[in-house]
Amino acid sequence: MLLTSVTARIDRLLRPLANVYNRFLGDYFGEMNGLQFVLISGSLVALLSAPFWGNFGLVRAMSVASVWAIFAMSWDIQSGYTGYISFGHSVLSGAAGYTTAMLVHNVDPELSMTVTIPVSILAALVVGLLIALPSLRLTGPYFSLITFVAVLIFYRMIPSFSEYTGGQTGIQSVEVFTYDPVLRFYYMVVPMVVIAVVLTFIARSNIGVVLVSIRENEAAVNAAGIDATKFKIFSFALSSVPMGIGGVLLVHFSGGVDPSTFVVVDRSIEMIAIAVLGGMSSILGPLGGAFFLIVLRDYVLTDLADLATPIRWTVFWGLVLLALVFVRDGLFRKLWHGLERLGGDRR
Amino acid sequence: MIEQLLSILVVGAMISAVYALVAIGFTMIFGVGGVLNLAHGALIMIGAFAYLAFTSTSGALSLPPVVGFVVAVAVTAGASYVLYAGLVTFIEDDIVITFLATVVVALLVTELVIIQFGSAPSQLVPIVSGSIYLESVGTRLRYVQLIAFVVSWIAIGALWYYVSKTDEGRSILAASMSTRGAELTGVNLRKVKSRTWLIAGAFAGIAGVFIGTLQSTSPQMWLSPLALAFIIVVVGGIGSIKGSVIAAYLIGYLETASVEFLGPSFQGVLSLIVLVAILLVLPNGLYGRELVHE
Repeated sequence: MLLTSVTARIDRLLRPLANVYNRFLGDYFGEMNGLQFVLISGSLVALLSAPFWGNFGLVRAMSVASVWAIFAMSWDIQSGYTGYISFGHSVLSGAAGYTTAMLVHNVDPELSMTVTIPVSILAALVVGLLIALPSLRLTGPYFSLITFVAVLIFYRMIPSFSEYTGGQTGIQSVEVFTYDPVLRFYYMVVPMVVIAVVLTFIARSNIGVVLVSIRENEAAVNAAGIDATKFKIFSFALSSVPMGIGGVLLVHFSGGVDPSTFVVVDRSIEMIAIAVLGGMSSILGPLGGAFFLIVLRDYVLTDLADLATPIRWTVFWGLVLLALVFVRDGLFRKLWHGLERLGGDRR
Repeated sequence: MIEQLLSILVVGAMISAVYALVAIGFTMIFGVGGVLNLAHGALIMIGAFAYLAFTSTSGALSLPPVVGFVVAVAVTAGASYVLYAGLVTFIEDDIVITFLATVVVALLVTELVIIQFGSAPSQLVPIVSGSIYLESVGTRLRYVQLIAFVVSWIAIGALWYYVSKTDEGRSILAASMSTRGAELTGVNLRKVKSRTWLIAGAFAGIAGVFIGTLQSTSPQMWLSPLALAFIIVVVGGIGSIKGSVIAAYLIGYLETASVEFLGPSFQGVLSLIVLVAILLVLPNGLYGRELVHE
């Protein structure tokens, strides 16, 4: 009670700022109270200024987290919203990464990024639509199974065609964006923020409502005269394009592809774990989840706690498991609604 | 050519028997509880590593292989029960969370195995060593393969007897047909589920020891049996034991034939492609039924 009276006062102080936002953008991205507005704008400022206050390890972890945020948000717009749970999203980023690497490796090493990047994103889109096809007939666990199988097919094809794909070691001859850690950070963060804004906009629009309705009751959507199939396919396309962008960013971040960083099932599971942990069907939840988990794994557990690899992963998966059982709706959704309560009554 | 076909017939039968063991536990858990247990591969791995820990000559116990086998199966059944009672009961109402939590358990077990046993593949002491050369077929068969075949059919037979001839077993069958109907006739659903997880764990344990002996015992070994269980169960129809056995043989023969004719690098790919084709034609598998939300 005491806490609420204090926070409500702070909220009233900040309300004018939030109201400026609410007046111009609230209709598109959802209204916020003062506390929520401070959380969002504060995080954005902290994120964009990270190279000026963070050390090398943290900035690197945040660069990687940006890519994972893209993956988790893309997964969320398709699986989180429509309820068609995909276990195969690493196939999409893998398709983009492998397209870039194989173009450079097999076609022409001098190929410029202005060619390889659009082609790679297109490849992700094509693969995404291929995976979308079964969704027209399969629902529930059957759909999840076939997306899982898509990962396995992709993974098993890599050694079968190792002269083109480089087999288990992959292809490591891709040009990196830059070796400057600060510049590299912005190469990753800026596309991530743009994708976050676009996906939030779409998710908050009528399209998002239709996608959620498909999850809740697909028959009712069809009965209302809306073609659910069209929207499902659209959500796949919407998911594949950022997945492709993320895959391209990742390949130019490390300068190569290999099956264990791009394709294996663990990667798809990580995307889902991040999205669920942050809060499914909220776009910004998965974004927060990505920064939380990746910074935890790559910086806190690695650089600060200095744990050996298997112990690090044990702690990581153990935490994910605990969060899944005890904070089912996601950490960031809890935080968000907490701020809503603390801000007192709206108007 | 005839010899080649005969050899496929024999080798395929041996491997398919193990595949059937892998798939049955997975499909039973889905049939009764509606839970896709993605930690099934991890249970198989627990079976193999428990056998390794109890029988290895360098280990503290180094039990005789047959005793070690029984202990490993018991340990796996126990692990499966703990997984159900300690985790799945609390989350099974949410299908996505259950998916995720079980697969995270699998990844967690992988890391624990790496910490305890290292990431390099280990060698299991075979239950029976030696092999026999089948002259008319032109193939060498290890005794372990023969034992795997026999044990698999004994286990399937025992399960069939249990499920169709005893009251306890019939309640499992009833629960898999309709949970609500079973509850109305006085079946204690929680007990039925516990029994199912124990049986599934035991099957996974048997499969684990044989897969560990015949293929490999490593911290990554959970994935391909899980993938196999998936494929077989989807082809056979989720929840159907008969479907799983038939599909296991279908997939086993397909893999053996593709290794024989196309080479070992295509072992998995062909069956995956067949799977996709079957799913598109028969979305519920050979003996499956539509998933109904109750």
